[in-house]
Amino acid sequence: MSIKRKKLLFVPGFVLVIGLLIYFPGRKHAREHVNLMTAVEDHPLKCASCHLHMIDKGPIASWLNADYYSPLNMAISRDGNTLYVVAQDANELMVVDALKKKVIQHIPVGKYPHSVILSEDGASAFVSNQWADNVMIVDLASASVTDTIPTGNGPSGLSLSIDQKYLYVVNTFSSDLTVINLERKTEVKRLSAGNNPTGIALSPNGEKLYVSSRRAHMVPYGEPTITDVTEFNTSKNRVSATMEIDEAYLMENMAFTPEGDLALISLIRPKNLVPMVQVERGWMMNHGFGVIEQTGQQRIIQFLLDEPNSYYSDPFDILVSNDGKRAFVSSSGVNRISVVNLDSIRSLLQNYPEEELDYLAFDLSFSRHYIEKRIPTGASPKGMVISADGSRLYVANQLDDQVGVIDLNTFENLDPIDLGGPKKLTVARKGRQLFVNAGGTFQNQYSCYTCHPDYHEDGLVYNMAGKDMGRNVTNVQSLREINHTAPFKWNGKNESVYKQDGMRFSTVLTRTEAFSFPDLDALASFILTGIKNPPNLMYNPSGELTAAQLRGKEIFDRTVDNYGNEIPEKGRCVTCHPSPYYSNFSFEDVGTLSESDDTIKFDTPHLNNIFASAPYLHDGRAVTLEEIWTKYGGRDQHGVVNDMTKMQLNDLIAYLNSLGSAELEAKEQEVLKAEIKN
Amino acid sequence: MKSKFNLTFFAFLTLLTFGIVSMGFTRSEKSPDVKESNSVPIYGNWKNFTKDNGLPGNKTYAVRVDGDRVLVGTHEGLAVYEDEKWTTYTTENGLSHNGVIAIDVSELTGDVWLGTMGGLTRWSGGKFEQYTQMNSGMANDLVYAVICDGKDVWVATGGGAGKLDTYTKEWEIFTEQNAPMHEPWTYSVCAGDNKVWIAAWGGGVIEYNKKTNHFRDYVDPDGNMEIDLFPDDGVVHDITTGVSYSNGILWAATYFGLSRYDGRGWKGYFDHDSGLASNFINYVRSVGDYAYLCTDKGLSITDGESWVTYKKNENDKNGKAIITNGESKTEKSFSPSISHNFILGVDVQDDVIWVATSYGLSRGERIN
Repeated sequence: MSIKRKKLLFVPGFVLVIGLLIYFPGRKHAREHVNLMTAVEDHPLKCASCHLHMIDKGPIASWLNADYYSPLNMAISRDGNTLYVVAQDANELMVVDALKKKVIQHIPVGKYPHSVILSEDGASAFVSNQWADNVMIVDLASASVTDTIPTGNGPSGLSLSIDQKYLYVVNTFSSDLTVINLERKTEVKRLSAGNNPTGIALSPNGEKLYVSSRRAHMVPYGEPTITDVTEFNTSKNRVSATMEIDEAYLMENMAFTPEGDLALISLIRPKNLVPMVQVERGWMMNHGFGVIEQTGQQRIIQFLLDEPNSYYSDPFDILVSNDGKRAFVSSSGVNRISVVNLDSIRSLLQNYPEEELDYLAFDLSFSRHYIEKRIPTGASPKGMVISADGSRLYVANQLDDQVGVIDLNTFENLDPIDLGGPKKLTVARKGRQLFVNAGGTFQNQYSCYTCHPDYHEDGLVYNMAGKDMGRNVTNVQSLREINHTAPFKWNGKNESVYKQDGMRFSTVLTRTEAFSFPDLDALASFILTGIKNPPNLMYNPSGELTAAQLRGKEIFDRTVDNYGNEIPEKGRCVTCHPSPYYSNFSFEDVGTLSESDDTIKFDTPHLNNIFASAPYLHDGRAVTLEEIWTKYGGRDQHGVVNDMTKMQLNDLIAYLNSLGSAELEAKEQEVLKAEIKN
Repeated sequence: MKSKFNLTFFAFLTLLTFGIVSMGFTRSEKSPDVKESNSVPIYGNWKNFTKDNGLPGNKTYAVRVDGDRVLVGTHEGLAVYEDEKWTTYTTENGLSHNGVIAIDVSELTGDVWLGTMGGLTRWSGGKFEQYTQMNSGMANDLVYAVICDGKDVWVATGGGAGKLDTYTKEWEIFTEQNAPMHEPWTYSVCAGDNKVWIAAWGGGVIEYNKKTNHFRDYVDPDGNMEIDLFPDDGVVHDITTGVSYSNGILWAATYFGLSRYDGRGWKGYFDHDSGLASNFINYVRSVGDYAYLCTDKGLSITDGESWVTYKKNENDKNGKAIITNGESKTEKSFSPSISHNFILGVDVQDDVIWVATSYGLSRGERIN
């Protein structure tokens, strides 16, 4: 054998040996790492699962993802020929020829638009921009924005007064209703409107306006859920009544029948006081609609959409046919529209006393008396409109960038309208579809979105009992921008979202088959890369801190108390909550463990957009940020605070309220570091 | 002879005319026609409400007319009089505390704001929402006064004054640490013409300019003496219990007399030199040109010149109105009269007055 040949054999041999030397221990190490991060032992060791699909910025993230439209709500012209579609992720109002089924115009609007309505003459559209805190008036002839009117925080649902003089805007984040005088094109009033409202409906005679809340009253754990519908007198533009809807929440939308005899609300009936492991025994979550009688006893009655062994989770929009005979409810968790026979509902209301109807709101078999049909839709059906002639129902299928078209004579699907979004289904987009779909839960009872509406949290406290019932009462945590904030859960037991949503998730929460690994890849990718914090326009609109917030920052950073004593390191806010995530990702006992909790230290939560996450503490006992320290900070275990005056506490809370997205915080840190260097 | 007669006749005529005119003036002072001679409103036809006819308790602290209904703060909750029926709301309905000591209604939203002995409550569309020193940025739970000023709600509490911006939901607190107060105890607050005035215990009147966000104080130049050494040199005492502003006039009540400020100078009023029922003033409310003064010895109404004071007889349900014009005083009897002489709250709308007393609520109708 020649030397040359020997050399040729040596090189690959050497590589092989080195490779084997690396492969076996490397694989062993990878196996251990993946087992730890996934809590399973049979993951196929695909590095891309975590190390590619969870990249949330830069060119790789751009390459992996695509710009979808994500239609949410719609309006339709009087002649039924034109649809106006809010494309939430594209910040656009799309003008669609409903006959040719073609997008004819893209009108840029504000950030994260939510709803659109048309003026009576059809000349203007009004668009609420939820992440810009304004409403835009769009001149439809020129397809241009003519006016931008500031509103409260997080504008969503819209309605016009019957004389077209006032525009009513529901402010979801600030929980109020903006009244805009359209002649002056300015906000003239802001009226309180429940908790996290979105839905709005004007009575046919124009005298009454309803606004439905999504979040429930904040009550101690153990008390039933109550959520408000607020009634406004439109002649005075004042709050006239508050209706408490028992054992319901997430009342996304409302509608009146054309005759005005009934007002309808989409709603969810949570059983958050029941241990979550009970999901397999049924009705952990129920989904339905409420009816507010406008005549007679004016009762508020709830009806289920669900049926035995099959749930119709996450009802979003509710609409009444032009003849008032049927209602349509889009259930984004199961990709269905339920057709409700309203004459059957009227008959039930007439023939059953309130007590019996209240009881029947728990009866899964009762829906057979009024559900006429379930119409399949595209991915995540949201807002709906009906053509003026009553022949077509259009539905925004949010997660496949289509508008579904349904023939209302046959209740059959016609060809949908393709809005022209990207044809590729990215991993994160698939994850979003999985996130909002209840298919992964026993009998479709709920999706991830149910407890995490807006990919955030629902404000409820759940009994996350393990094997010992009645333990570990848990406040739902937000999923906004949680990448880089591991570990997860209040006890920090999950090192990764992959682990959080894997086998353990199905064992405790969904009680059905675990997500497949490709599905887990997708779900984790969406959760970690696709959920952003809305800009903190409520408390920090300009990015500059107010005088009170600056004083609060000094308190947050302080090392010495009011008496000149050095505060132990553990007693300083900034020790456990350093920017940009305001978490040190470590564990601490802040003295709030209750007797029913397992003995744990708490994973330090991040504080970005903390103002939007009430209630607070692991079991939601603090209704406001103030209560963390006024009621539950007694022994200075959760920071040294007892030397502070009320004014100082207010300043500290003003600062905490100002905290926004970690991305912005990180930029500020860079600027700060650069300034220090210079 | 003729000229002497004429002179005598002329003198007689002159004296007669003078005499008639003089008699006329004298007559009108001694026997006033209440409908014509006095511009300060006089109320009669009193009707009283107590626990016996619908109030939840006899101790009433505050009253506010809100359109067709009357809101009454009592020691046992909020009592609402509508369609001649009383309805009571308590902590069971969502009130912060049953002792309701201050009430205001937002002109902008129609929301009712209630200052109680245990926090502030917003009553909107039948829903009660609580703000306390524990769950919000409010300074203290003892809320002596509440007023709505556009989108802002101001409170005077035992731990400082405070402002809630109902749009941003943020509180701002004003105490001796950031305002020229003697101590944080505040009793009253009012607003007008881009200014807010706070009655601060021991601190006189604190003026807050909303345009500049600056404070200034008005204190007693006599150094907190219980007598007003130099008249009209400033607010009559630093222990202020009430402020109210209307028609460009600020009225400041103290436990030692009343002050009126027109933006240029102060004028003091006391029970010994005016028609004021007592120097011990619990509350003042001004409407139009008139100040309504709730004292421990009756209710007084004034425009700064004339006075009408209502007092109940000690031993029966009857009483009187004492009408003071300069040096002259006349009285008019009523049966019944106001419910009690210890007055804590008052409100007027059109020709009707409602008076909250320590024993019942009184309703009177204007008779002049």
